[in-house]
Amino acid sequence: MSLIDVRNVRKGFGGLEVLNDISFQVEKGEVVCLIGASGSGKSTMLRCINLLEDIDAGSIRVFDEEISKLTDINDYRRRVGMVFQQFNLFNNMDVLNNCILAQVRVLKKDRKEAEARALQELEKVGLRDFIHAYPSTLSGGQKQRVAIARALCMDPEILLFDEPTSALDPEMVGEVLNVIRELAKEDMTMVIVTHEMAFARDVADKVIFMDEGVILEEGRPEKIFDHPEYDRTRQFLSRILQ
Amino acid sequence: MSLAKCLEILLKYYPSFLLGIRTTLIVALSGTLLGLMIGLLVGGFRAIRLDKTAAGYKKVIKKILDVFARIYIEVFRGTPMMVQAVFIYYLVYTNIIRWDKMTAAIFVISINTGAYMAEIVRSGIQAIDPGQNEAARSLGMTSMQTMMGVILPQAIRNAFPAIGNELIVNIKDSSVLMIISITELMFQSNSIAGTTYRFTETYFLTAMIYLLLTGISSIILGMIEKRMNHSRTSLPQSDTTFSSISLAEKGGKA
Repeated sequence: MSLIDVRNVRKGFGGLEVLNDISFQVEKGEVVCLIGASGSGKSTMLRCINLLEDIDAGSIRVFDEEISKLTDINDYRRRVGMVFQQFNLFNNMDVLNNCILAQVRVLKKDRKEAEARALQELEKVGLRDFIHAYPSTLSGGQKQRVAIARALCMDPEILLFDEPTSALDPEMVGEVLNVIRELAKEDMTMVIVTHEMAFARDVADKVIFMDEGVILEEGRPEKIFDHPEYDRTRQFLSRILQ
Repeated sequence: MSLAKCLEILLKYYPSFLLGIRTTLIVALSGTLLGLMIGLLVGGFRAIRLDKTAAGYKKVIKKILDVFARIYIEVFRGTPMMVQAVFIYYLVYTNIIRWDKMTAAIFVISINTGAYMAEIVRSGIQAIDPGQNEAARSLGMTSMQTMMGVILPQAIRNAFPAIGNELIVNIKDSSVLMIISITELMFQSNSIAGTTYRFTETYFLTAMIYLLLTGISSIILGMIEKRMNHSRTSLPQSDTTFSSISLAEKGGKA
């Protein structure tokens, strides 16, 4: 049984079909990269998995449960971490409290315990020295690493990344991707929407190419990048790899 | 107008002025605080966006209460507080309970301020980037936890100047409450002017006192605002990324 099982999902926004019969599976420990042009439905697909959007038809099963029928959405979301393009840190709190808040409120940990865990994760993303900094004083790359640490503090079983480096200056992309690479080595199950092709090839177990709301092809990164089946894929790759 | 006369009136009637100042401050301060509470409740409720998946009855209740909130805000912003004061005071006095004037005054100013505060709070909440809401929800926080822990603290801080402004307005506008003869500053001034027949001098003093009260309030509000924005500039010393995690050969760039 797959950890994430998406079947025949459809989703439209006011007449515009954004997801058109999407099916794919993600196994435990797998890293899946969703690639494709802007507007091809990648982010929407990711947001549906975290119930930030609901689907019009089809089924999404995660942890062997139909997520649209969950009774405790908050517990489910706790188990599925999400990292956003715009970081979405809590601007009124320092780095440490960004990582502590949900641990205390959702996991009901005491502050000491939550702090220890936060320090551990911040160490991992290389921001141990920044715990008292406010988001407004951090660079984009640092903010995104805090956001990853914040998600890791909740012990997620799956991490979803929605274009984690698209809002970053080029020189900061590497530091964020390296953190994600480290997570991949630890067999974290991840679904990553990205435009970083070299990274996708490097880190993904499976690459899914989406185009206009459908999955055009999927497979091992070597297959997609070196021997794409469709002209559309080749065209996209050649444009983005220039 | 003679300044000597002003001084004379001040020296002779300062206890009356002080009583007026005291009442004005009590009414303005409690009205602003209670109004803020009302504003947080009504404005916070108005800002709630129910999930599309929420149960049908919740949507209906939300819709109905939204309509009531709108009516409340429109009525109390759209009629003069002086009219509200006499109407509500006599309405309650003759039909429900013989309440004292001070209670009535605080009630009226609170409910009037609440209407303005509701809009201030609502717009403050709506100005917070929805991404922060999504981030909190994606960590498993409930909508209530998100509102109380993430959204509202930021909304209040952003809206603080507007909230403080309501205090200044209330210090001045509580003068209309003399219509139900509570002994606030304007009421006292009227009595003093009536006794001395020195209208210019008395009201000059009154204006100066109001200016002093609002001026001091502005300074205090400014200090609180500064304090709220304090301690958010702690600068980090070093970035350990590249020492703890080695850069991969390929690099991250496509």
